[in-house]
Amino acid sequence: MQIRKLPVLALYTTLSLAIFAAESLLPPLVPIPGIKLGLANIITLVVLRHDSPQEAALVLTARILLSSFLFGQLVSLFYSLAGGILSLAAMYLTNRCLHKKMPFLTGAMGGLFHNIGQLLAARLLLSSSAVWAYFPFLGLGGILTGFFTGLCAHYAGRLLPRRS
Amino acid sequence: MHRHYAKAPFFITAFLLAVALCCLAAILTTGSGTGTFVADVYQNGELILSIPLDQDPPKPFLIQGENHCFNQITVQDGAIGITAADCPDQLCVHQGFLRTPGLPITCLPNRLVILLRNAASDSSQELTGSQVPDMVTY
Repeated sequence: MQIRKLPVLALYTTLSLAIFAAESLLPPLVPIPGIKLGLANIITLVVLRHDSPQEAALVLTARILLSSFLFGQLVSLFYSLAGGILSLAAMYLTNRCLHKKMPFLTGAMGGLFHNIGQLLAARLLLSSSAVWAYFPFLGLGGILTGFFTGLCAHYAGRLLPRRS
Repeated sequence: MHRHYAKAPFFITAFLLAVALCCLAAILTTGSGTGTFVADVYQNGELILSIPLDQDPPKPFLIQGENHCFNQITVQDGAIGITAADCPDQLCVHQGFLRTPGLPITCLPNRLVILLRNAASDSSQELTGSQVPDMVTY
């Protein structure tokens, strides 16, 4: 990783954090815990597409740590990391299979696996298998919101200067 | 190798569609149970109340929690729900009324879980002793 990329990555992180914070101010769309637009995923998708997966991992981890310390509780760190790691892995693999085309599919996979990761974390923390009752809602919601963020990332990425 | 993965978008789309359709099917068909249900109210993982939904409903009552959070539970017309609470996010109130088993209603600050079960089935559900909602995320 080149040293001059550091400010760019820092900017990505800040942007991602700002989007995350702004979105957390919105009222919940549906009364199901965990359903949200996940707009910060746009940044992750853009970095994944235009830069390397390591840099995407850096930005994502930095954002998760910062957002948990600034806005959340310690336990939200666990949930976010679980969702983020699984989602990044899924998006990276999808990106490779798709050769970085069709970011809406990548986004949908990322959203789905992010929610799966969070459900797994909830299953672990709450020690109850009743959490799987939420899976239909979170699965569908993850796919739909991920699809939307993928579209946003596609158009946002177009505004970046061409370099790859 | 490029030729091999030329069909990747198709597979991924198919996978996502399959998952989405399964989720949709699950959402639309949960709770196609038979008629009478019993609402189990758990606090801190312990069953504190069992309310049959087909009998005359009791008056709305309050359940007090540790974090000075109360929930007002109302049973009416074969459904049970949390109608008032003093927790900050009011998620429990927005979860509405339960008529069919499937999703529970939870109030995390109050560690309250309301689950429906078939009147005929066993009284002890899969709530293990440690199914205490002991962490709250907002």
